[in-house]
Amino acid sequence: MSNDAGKAHLETYLHQVRRNLGGLPAAESDEIVAELRSHVLDRVEGAPTPQRVEEAIAALGSPREVARINLTERVAVELEADRSPLTVLRGVARLAGLSLYGMFAGLVSFTGYVLAAGFLITAISKLISRTRAGLWRWPDDHGAYHYVMGVTNHPQGQELLGWWVVPIGLGLAVLLGWLTWRFGIFSVRHMRRTAQRGRA
Amino acid sequence: MNPNRNELPDDLGKWEVQVRKGGLGLAVLAILWPEKLYGLEILRRLDSQAGMSIPEGTIYPLLSRLKAQGLVESEWVEAGAGHPRKYYRLTEPGRRRVREMALSWRAFAQGLERLLAPLEGDPA
Repeated sequence: MSNDAGKAHLETYLHQVRRNLGGLPAAESDEIVAELRSHVLDRVEGAPTPQRVEEAIAALGSPREVARINLTERVAVELEADRSPLTVLRGVARLAGLSLYGMFAGLVSFTGYVLAAGFLITAISKLISRTRAGLWRWPDDHGAYHYVMGVTNHPQGQELLGWWVVPIGLGLAVLLGWLTWRFGIFSVRHMRRTAQRGRA
Repeated sequence: MNPNRNELPDDLGKWEVQVRKGGLGLAVLAILWPEKLYGLEILRRLDSQAGMSIPEGTIYPLLSRLKAQGLVESEWVEAGAGHPRKYYRLTEPGRRRVREMALSWRAFAQGLERLLAPLEGDPA
């Protein structure tokens, strides 16, 4: 009876670990959870009383800590093999749910790439739609100016850059894309270090 | 004891953590040299044979890294324990790597040993 309660306690814990591993493919989180179950059952040496199960679980760490350390390590290993911007972005997205920093990194990465894509599209659009793409300025009702870089067609707008928007747009796209990519790599390393320090 | 030296043991602790962390991958590979083992056995041998006690939750991400690097492989074995266990063993590249790492570690340790020799018997 008591052993059943212990096993139920273990399953609740593993369920929470799995929920925190949300960013991983199901097969990988199944594998992690199965190994943790096996670890705890070995550690209690055939007597899974609630107390012994609790001791074993406490030694592993909270579901969030266990998920964090497993996820960050996996993403870090992936990045060592392939550091293409898409892999880095996917890695950052996987870690976004783990912590406040993860969420911040996810948001910055997403915004960075979207802005870089915006600059790129503007530069390319200039070649296709000469009159509409560029850095636009127009006055509002209070006499202040609005600036927009992109493809627009404001009636009172004035385009400021001319053909310069092509090299400037491309340059900004590359610079911002590169910075976002480096920031993603830094973030994954940073989160891995923090996760390990949490259990050191 | 001495309030002015409070920070020193802390720094020493951090340094020790770094040194141990550096040797951990080699230690795990070396423990797998003679036979295949499962996670808890690896943890217990690290502790009993090398005095390396690490947080239990950290061994599995490390094993998963070594597996992703192709240095170890794993299989689930339905043993007499009443539940399946995941055993790890060295792959051929893993055996080559652990030998290379051992050589490199020994060379480093011997060099350091020579530097440390004059410290013996010299009261600080």
